[in-house]
Amino acid sequence: MKIKVKLYTILKKYAKGKVLEENTIILHKDTTLQGLSRSLNIPDNIGIIFLVNDSPQGKEYRLREGDEVKIFSFICGG
Amino acid sequence: MPERIEGYMGKQLRISLDNKKYKIEKIDTQTLKDYLGGVGYSAKILYEELEKGIDPLSPDNKIIFATGPLTSYRVPGGGSIEICFKSPLTKAWGEARCGGNFGPDMKKAGYDFLIIEDKATEPVYLFIDDNRIEFKDASHLLGKMVSEKTRMMREELNNNDISIMCIGIAGENLVNIATVMFEGRAAGRCGGGAVMGSKNLIAIAVKGSGKIEPKNPDDYNIALKEIRNVVKNSEIAKGFREFGTMGDMAGNDAAGDWPTKNWQANNWGKGEELFDYYNRHNFINNKMCYKGCPIACGRIASVKEGKFKTPQHDGAEYESLSAFTAFVFNEDMDAAVHSSYLCDEYGIDTISAGGIIAFAMECYENGLISKKDTEGLDLSWGNADLLPILVKKISKREGIGDILADGVLKAAKKIGKGAEKFAIHCKGLEGPAHDSRSGKALAVTYGTANRGMCHIHPLEGMAYDSGKFDFGMIPYGVPDPNKIDRWDEKGKGKTVKILQDGLIMPDVLGVCKFFMYAGITLDQYAKLLSSLTGWNLKGKDLLRIGERTNNLQRLFNTREGFSKKDDSIPDRAKQRPLFGAYKDEDRCIVKDYEGMLKEYYEARGWNTETGIPIKEKLLELGLDE
Repeated sequence: MKIKVKLYTILKKYAKGKVLEENTIILHKDTTLQGLSRSLNIPDNIGIIFLVNDSPQGKEYRLREGDEVKIFSFICGG
Repeated sequence: MPERIEGYMGKQLRISLDNKKYKIEKIDTQTLKDYLGGVGYSAKILYEELEKGIDPLSPDNKIIFATGPLTSYRVPGGGSIEICFKSPLTKAWGEARCGGNFGPDMKKAGYDFLIIEDKATEPVYLFIDDNRIEFKDASHLLGKMVSEKTRMMREELNNNDISIMCIGIAGENLVNIATVMFEGRAAGRCGGGAVMGSKNLIAIAVKGSGKIEPKNPDDYNIALKEIRNVVKNSEIAKGFREFGTMGDMAGNDAAGDWPTKNWQANNWGKGEELFDYYNRHNFINNKMCYKGCPIACGRIASVKEGKFKTPQHDGAEYESLSAFTAFVFNEDMDAAVHSSYLCDEYGIDTISAGGIIAFAMECYENGLISKKDTEGLDLSWGNADLLPILVKKISKREGIGDILADGVLKAAKKIGKGAEKFAIHCKGLEGPAHDSRSGKALAVTYGTANRGMCHIHPLEGMAYDSGKFDFGMIPYGVPDPNKIDRWDEKGKGKTVKILQDGLIMPDVLGVCKFFMYAGITLDQYAKLLSSLTGWNLKGKDLLRIGERTNNLQRLFNTREGFSKKDDSIPDRAKQRPLFGAYKDEDRCIVKDYEGMLKEYYEARGWNTETGIPIKEKLLELGLDE
C-alpha cells in the first residue's frame, strides 16, 4: 500500500533513500507505525510522536492506504 | 592574598553599594567541596545571610553572580553565569541562568562569586578589571534600551573586550518579571532585574586576565577530550545547532506539549506552520552565546518588513516565540519575533510576559477587565497588534501594564472577581511552554521545582517522558524511559526526585544544561572536576551534592512559609484540554497528582503531610545546623 510520510528536524535524514517523491512510501498491508519506523531505521530508543491524518496515534496503529503520517522527535530545548 | 584553592579562583568579591566599598574574601574549601558553586554555593550563602521574610526589593536582599568550577571557555557549555536572589515575583528562592562570556570573564578577573549587598544612593554601574573595582555613575544610562546601554558602556570604557550584564527599563521600574541581560540573552526568570533595579545597580562590566591551571593537567585534558567527543558525535547537539530550541515547536505541538490559549489546550495544530514561517522569513543564522560553544544553539532573527519590522537580533527561542504565539493564540510569527525582541530590549522575561498577556486576554474575554481598564485596548485572543504594546506598557508600568508588571498571581489578586482561575503559575512563577498533559513527570517537576513553574529544572521531566532521554541516570535508579509510558503516573514521583538531583548539576557546575541533553553524564563531569581540583569525585558524589542543593533551596522556601500547599499545580495543567487533538484523550489527564506528590516526598525523605524535609534527611545531607 502507498502512504505519505513526513519526517521532521533530526529525523529527516531517515527519509533518505526510503521515502519517494511527494513523501510517498510503499509498505506491506497492515504495517503498523512501529513497522514504518523500523523500515525507516529510526532507532527504537529515541522518543518519537506520530500523527496520522493529523491525529495522534500510538505505535501499534495499523496503517491504511492513503494515510498521511508525520513523525516528530525531540531535541528537548526549552 | 588568600590561599589558592586548586581548580577555583578561590575568591569572592563582596560589593557594598551603600558605601561603595568592596571586600575580596577567601572562600572556605570545605564549603566548596559541599556545594561546588553556581546555585549550590549561592543557596548556602543566601540561606545563611538573608533574614526570613525580607522584602526582596529592599536593601536587605542580596544578589549573587555565581560561576561554577567548570565555568570556562575551554569546557563545552562553560559560558555560563547563575544569578541567585530572593525573588520579588514569588518571594521564594530565585535563580536565573544566562549563557555568554560574562561567567568565564568574571572568573578570569579572579572571582568565583560576586555578592552584591545594600543599595546605592544614586544609579551606579560596576566595572571589575581584575583587582581594580570601580563604582561608576549610571544616571546617563537610565531609560535606555539594553542594546543602547551596552553600546554606551563599551564606548565610555573604551574597550570592546569586556562582558556587560545590565538591566533594562523594566528593571529600573522594578517590574517583577525584569531580567538581567547579557547582550541579547537573558537571565530571565524570577525578577532578578528588579532586584538589581532596587539596588540602583544598572549594570556590571567585567574584564579579566587570570587563568586557572588544573591540578592534574594531563587527566584534565583527557577528560575534556572525552566530553568534547560526546558533543561532537551527538545527534542532539547537531539538532540544537541546526534548528535551535525552535526545532521542537512542531513536535511539541504534536505531542500535546504546547500550552495553548492560556493552557486551555495542550495542542493547537499550528506549530508546524508557524515553525515553517519562522524558518523561511525570520531565521537568519545560528550563533554561539559564548566564545567557542560547540553547540551554538543561539539564533539570529529579524522581521524584514511590515508593521513588525525588527532588526537582526540574538533571540527567537522556542519558549519566547511560543509565549507570543500559542499562549496568546496569535498566528502572526512576525509579531511574536518583534515582541520577543522588545522584551529583551526592555528587559522583561519573555515567558512570563506571554503568560501574563494570555491571563489578561482571558480576563478580558470573561469581562473581568474591560476597555475602560485597558484605556481602549482590545485584549481579544490573537490580537497581534496588541502584543508589542503590552510589552512596552508592562515594562514602563503604564496603565494596565502596571497591574500586569508584577505577574499573574499578584495581578489576579488586584483584579479579583475570580481571576485566580486564569492565573497559570506555580509558587507565583508563570508557566513555560511545556505541558504536563504530555507526560506526567512534568506535573511533579512543575509542582516541586524550587523557583516555581520554570522551563529549566522541570524540563527533564518532559525530556524523559516524551524524548526518552535517560541522561545516563539509569545506574542511579531512573527507570529506562523506553520501558515506561509517558502518561503513566505510578513511579514518576520517585523518578523525578532522581532526575532533579542529577539535572541540577549543570547549574551547580556552571555549565549549560543542554550538554547533558547532548549526552555528557555525571560520571564524565565528575572525572573532569576531579582532574581540575584534585578531589576524588564520582557521579554519585555529584548526585549527592545535587540532592543537598535541592534540599537547601527547599529549606530556603520553607523558612519563607512555603509548604505542601505551594506544591500544587494549576487545574488547567491537569484537566482535559478544551480543544485540540488531545481533547478526547483520557490518558493525558493528570488523575492522581496527590499520589505522585506523596511518592515524591517519600523518595525525598520529606514529611508527606507538610512537604518539609525531616531532620534525619537533613542530618544525612549535612544540613542539620
